[in-house]
Amino acid sequence: MPVYQDNRELLQRVRWLQVVFILVFIGLFAKLWSLTVLDFELYKNLAERNRVRTIPELAPRGLIYDREGRVLVDNVYAFNLLVFRDEIQNVSETLDFLVDGLGLDRETTQERLKETGIYDIYRAIILKENLTLEETTYLLARQAEHPELGILKQPRRIYRYGSLAAHVAGYIGEVSREQLQQSEFKKNRAGDIVGQFGVERTYDEGLTGKDGRRRVLVDSRGKFLQDLDHSEPIRGEGLTLTIDLDLQAEAESQLGDAPGAVIAFDPQTGEILVMASRPAFDPNQFALRITHKEWEQLLNNPDHPLQNRTIQSTFSPGSTFKIIMALAGLEKGIIDSETSVYCGGSVDLYGNRFHCWKAGGHGQVTLREAIQHSCNVYFYLLGQKLGIQDIASFSRRLGLGDSMGIDLLGEVMGLVPSEEWKREVRGEPWYAGETISLAIGQGPLLVTPAQLARAVGIVATGKAPRLHLIKTESPQPPEQSLFPTPHFSPENLEMVRDALWSAVNEGGTGRAAQVTGFDVAGKTGTAQTISLETREKLSDEEAEQFEPNAWFVGFAPRDDPEIVVAVILQRGGSGGSGAAPVAREVLKVYFDKHQKAQPDGMELASKIKSKPRL
Amino acid sequence: MLTRRFLSQFDFFLFLAAVILALIGAMGIYNASAEAANYSLFVRHLQWIGLGIVVCLVVTLVDYHILTDHAFLLYGLTTLLLLGILFFGKEINGSKSWFTLGDISFQPSEIAKVAVILVLARYLSEINASYLEHRHLFALGGLTLLPMFLITLQGDLGTALMYLPILLGVVMVAGLRMRFLIGTIIIALCVTPFGWFLLKDYQKERILVTLDPGRDPQGIGYQSRQSQIAIGSGGLFGKGLGQGLQSQLGFVPEIHTDFIFAILAEEIGFVGSIFMLMLYLLVLMRLIRIAENARDRVGILLITGVTSLIFFQVAINVSMTVGIVPPIGIPLPLLSYGGSSTITTFAALGLALNVHQRRFVYSPASGPDPRSLRSHLPASLSKHYNS
Repeated sequence: MPVYQDNRELLQRVRWLQVVFILVFIGLFAKLWSLTVLDFELYKNLAERNRVRTIPELAPRGLIYDREGRVLVDNVYAFNLLVFRDEIQNVSETLDFLVDGLGLDRETTQERLKETGIYDIYRAIILKENLTLEETTYLLARQAEHPELGILKQPRRIYRYGSLAAHVAGYIGEVSREQLQQSEFKKNRAGDIVGQFGVERTYDEGLTGKDGRRRVLVDSRGKFLQDLDHSEPIRGEGLTLTIDLDLQAEAESQLGDAPGAVIAFDPQTGEILVMASRPAFDPNQFALRITHKEWEQLLNNPDHPLQNRTIQSTFSPGSTFKIIMALAGLEKGIIDSETSVYCGGSVDLYGNRFHCWKAGGHGQVTLREAIQHSCNVYFYLLGQKLGIQDIASFSRRLGLGDSMGIDLLGEVMGLVPSEEWKREVRGEPWYAGETISLAIGQGPLLVTPAQLARAVGIVATGKAPRLHLIKTESPQPPEQSLFPTPHFSPENLEMVRDALWSAVNEGGTGRAAQVTGFDVAGKTGTAQTISLETREKLSDEEAEQFEPNAWFVGFAPRDDPEIVVAVILQRGGSGGSGAAPVAREVLKVYFDKHQKAQPDGMELASKIKSKPRL
Repeated sequence: MLTRRFLSQFDFFLFLAAVILALIGAMGIYNASAEAANYSLFVRHLQWIGLGIVVCLVVTLVDYHILTDHAFLLYGLTTLLLLGILFFGKEINGSKSWFTLGDISFQPSEIAKVAVILVLARYLSEINASYLEHRHLFALGGLTLLPMFLITLQGDLGTALMYLPILLGVVMVAGLRMRFLIGTIIIALCVTPFGWFLLKDYQKERILVTLDPGRDPQGIGYQSRQSQIAIGSGGLFGKGLGQGLQSQLGFVPEIHTDFIFAILAEEIGFVGSIFMLMLYLLVLMRLIRIAENARDRVGILLITGVTSLIFFQVAINVSMTVGIVPPIGIPLPLLSYGGSSTITTFAALGLALNVHQRRFVYSPASGPDPRSLRSHLPASLSKHYNS
């Protein structure tokens, strides 16, 4: 049929099309093979990453309790704004959104994103803590457009009583870049919140829980679809302090805002009952990511609120040093209970006149009376006989001038002067006249309130347990230094204790520390911060800054002591009128709890609990 | 009997292959809707398939010679439609290529393909030379470029470009001299740099990203990348029907339409993808077979147009889904969601079935068809006399 022949050429070309089809399809088969078989693993992983989001679940830190189980440091849950940096499409759009709606500072936020650039990209970064309801609503409403942002309920540290026991509890903060280089923080990753101060720092490892994580399926807009798996965060171990919040609160309210410190501990066990340092800071400021400005304010405050004065500040012990002098004199056999000295208000030694605080003098005084009335002349003469070497060595035996191994960071050692020290540091010989000043706790001798308290504790019990902040059933802190318990004759110790008792209970300088029914023994101190000559050159106003520091150190009850207390009020005037009443109030609270209200001591405890100082 | 004659000649093989592909597509659309649990698209698509089958059968029933006789009229009407849409059309996804009637949207640029196939076949059927001359090429080019131009004006470059394969296919089969072919390629190469400036920025970007996929993983290349992830993560046997999370969760864009192949490949794997492609290949081979048995020149040319249209759309859509070419927004015939595309493809297949139906000059069941005698015998004879 001609009709068909006519189209042969056409059909020939049509058949060629089949070749084209087959070649193209082979090409497609090959590409499909390469996608689904050869690169299967690659695409499988990419697919996983596409829709599985890992959401960190921060573990709450362990709670911190006082010795009676009252919660001092707690956690609350707050809504935090997180950014999943791997989801950010356009940084400036994200920033615009946050600046508009949450009032975040653009520069700061950008800086934070830049800073956190060193973290693993899949790690969510907290951009704002403690979102308000309004902010949460704003974010949720536009969630679909911003899959890179998430709102997570996360635990936040709360210090229930604000600044109460702030220096003991300490604070937390993001681990710094410098810290990451140190072995202490080798377990941490950038961005971790770690203890930075106080027991939060010392016991960080135990307090830190184990973070959990939740893996969830999300769609391409970041919308939550379903849970894949979940590892629960594990809360850090709790920590029971030796601190008694009743006493701590009393001590801090007695100190008020004036610079000063109180430390009290159980001389039998070394458990610290009170560690108060004022002025203080509010650790909650740090829990909420302290701003640069707030930090500057704390640092530049002339009263150094960040400083824990009980262990980080040193002072001249003043007349409280007479306790150590007395013990040294007795132990060296230079004096005994009968040795008496005539005090006529001053004594001339090495060409200088050394004054007693009482212008008319104390007359004939024995050791007991010299301590009771804090007679300087007695101790000038004792110092002269003891000499610098013995004074220094007894000071050291009682733990001055050395670190105490308290389980807090930043303890300072203080200074016990000696002939060698003077030569090496000042390049001058030790002058005999300096020994005389040293005998009443003036001069280059520097102690921390904690050191002085422990020295008094040794006098009170003959024991020198290591001072610490954690109840023993909790993990033992690492031993930092073992202080060898010095041995003194029990008679000599008893003699000093008796004298200290009389200073409080028999109309001595410490009488303001008397607590009825509680045999308080103690010694006042009024430590000058400048020499008398300098004082005379100053106007009254200028001199105000150089008011003497008021001291009281003591223990109670006299027989079988349970509590040792040291109080210092900077620029607090005389020890008898400034510091002794503070000690009394603290001891009174202790006495009311343990003796008077026995066996039910919780009555007062509950009173404090119901009035948290937030 | 019309029915018995119809059934005895009907190419069930081609018809069933097409329906199976359409149903696989419907399954993909169903699974793609699973996450949102909104199956309205699926239901509507089933309706489109139903309508497509009806259109297919109707086109099969009417002798294709009636259609080719009125090819220029149909062409003129669709061109008017394309022109009208520029003024009365509705803009969807940046392309003003939709007519809406109630809640039904319709894209004349799809149906116009059938009109172009008809008009090209009709024009070429009257040229009885081994090779085409300049004037023929200009005429054919003009007939194709007019609707293309109008569709480009609508902002739908992808659909417009799909007219070129139709032209290329029929012209090659009708007889394109090697020098014209080479000349066209040279001209195309010369024009390309100028064409580059005519492209919109996003189009340029798409081309660059395909050449270098790492160029912008989150931006333009995103679609292509996500589609590859979906397919690749399906592996050899797929994740199982309904398990194509990658596609379902919205990572692959246009999953119901242009990227339907991605969700199917993710769920039924390499093996399932090959099965689908083999079905397409069977359809294409069957079309060639119909061409071989076609009664006349216009029939062969119609099949060539239909075959080119389906082949190029499948090849380009799948290439784009697996990341060989940039995403240019053309649907996968029979599989993709969409009324216009489904109906157009079924209509085109109807043309092929039509040619198959009337492959004998004298149909054994019904005797000679006077129409075929009237329109084609003289033409063939005249050539015979001339030679």
